[in-house]
Amino acid sequence: MESIAQRVIRFVLNGKGLQVEVPSHWTLLRLLREKLGLTGTKEGCGIGECGACTVLLDGMPVHACLLMAAKVEGREVQTVEGLGSRSSLHPLQRSLIEHGAVQCGFCIPGILMSSKALLDRNPHPGRNEVKEAISGHLCRCTGYHQIVEAIEAAGRESKFEARNPKSETNTNVQISNVSNK
Amino acid sequence: MIPELDYRTPETLEEACNLLWESGARAKVIAGGTDLVIRLRNKELKPSWLVDITRVPELQGIEEKDGLMVIGAGVTHAELASSAVLKRHGKILSDAASEIGSPQIRNLGTIGGNIVNASPAADTVPALMALDAVGEVVSREGERRVRLGDLFKGPYETALKPHEILTRISFQKLPPDTGCGFVRLARREATAIARMSVALTVRIGRGKNRIEDIRISVGAMTPTPHRISEAEAMLKGKSPDRGLFKEASQKVSESILRRTGLRASSSYKVPVVEALFIRSLEKALGEVA
Repeated sequence: MESIAQRVIRFVLNGKGLQVEVPSHWTLLRLLREKLGLTGTKEGCGIGECGACTVLLDGMPVHACLLMAAKVEGREVQTVEGLGSRSSLHPLQRSLIEHGAVQCGFCIPGILMSSKALLDRNPHPGRNEVKEAISGHLCRCTGYHQIVEAIEAAGRESKFEARNPKSETNTNVQISNVSNK
Repeated sequence: MIPELDYRTPETLEEACNLLWESGARAKVIAGGTDLVIRLRNKELKPSWLVDITRVPELQGIEEKDGLMVIGAGVTHAELASSAVLKRHGKILSDAASEIGSPQIRNLGTIGGNIVNASPAADTVPALMALDAVGEVVSREGERRVRLGDLFKGPYETALKPHEILTRISFQKLPPDTGCGFVRLARREATAIARMSVALTVRIGRGKNRIEDIRISVGAMTPTPHRISEAEAMLKGKSPDRGLFKEASQKVSESILRRTGLRASSSYKVPVVEALFIRSLEKALGEVA
């Protein structure tokens, strides 16, 4: 080919409409990292076995390394950059930190996205449901124990806590979670 | 990295067929891409075009129609795993799909892709063999129906021509009093290709202690899928009995060995497949107890 086939795609990224031209052979992972500068999503294996590249497509966890970029046309993509920030941590982010579930951090963005999808559909998951939700993720550092505890704990907290990061976490209070959309 | 290619997303089946007809063998159909993208990445396949069929309406949906279950080739494993109607009338397929890969893989990967990729380890295939599934294949030349077993020519090789699309898979609804057993063995619980699997359905006569019908297929152990008719014949019409199950399990391992010949892995696989067979049989019988 003389010039690389390009494609214009329009999609919603972390809540904002976006139009971008991308080579037709690129995956979403490459688009996010190399063109959009969103390096929160990681390439761990490139073949859909480690989960480090997990993003949400229309709210569903998918491996961005296997998703051709052209497929996101007209759809919604959420990455870890859209989850929270230093000044306003998502309850999942805060819970992972508080439970000592983050060591090198490489697996964490992917796990955050799968956990967010879990809590969106099941605000109070049990231990087995958490394990099932992160079954497509590999962590080389922690042994998963603190990760599972952190996600379970986040499921016990109310959404209200997320907007008030300085307040104490009160895990004894069961407040029903409004589904996060 | 994936080599350069052009990407098309037809909105209709007709458009998809035309695209494939015009590009000849230079195009490849892509559904979820969970198998295909890996093969593109390692340059095993180098198509000039990808034809994305996930927006074609005829390839969607899980429906009941005249005693049949009809499943669009573009239905994802996640949809199969969560479909209430499929669990009622074809649970063996739902069970198999629910153990594929990971949640992320199941959200993208499709039943059509699983079949057409034709890996000997494909998980939906033994379930579909037990269901006597039939595929609908469409192209510019017309439509044809193919028994699932006839679609596979060898590992990673189907009888589909480059311009053909598998659009639907259908099978007779499982009768009531049918139990399903799908058992899968792999290196890990998730994200690992099956090393060995067994899919079977068993129907017990109401009020009788007798196997009215039994269908058995294995996965990941033979170059192409097949039904273990010798074991089926041995069990049909008989009462459930441990000794009989043990004998039948030997028929299963013999059937596999006949197709593969004796291999280095056989000393492991023979006793293990016999055990997996008994496990899946007990699982299925447990559903109708």
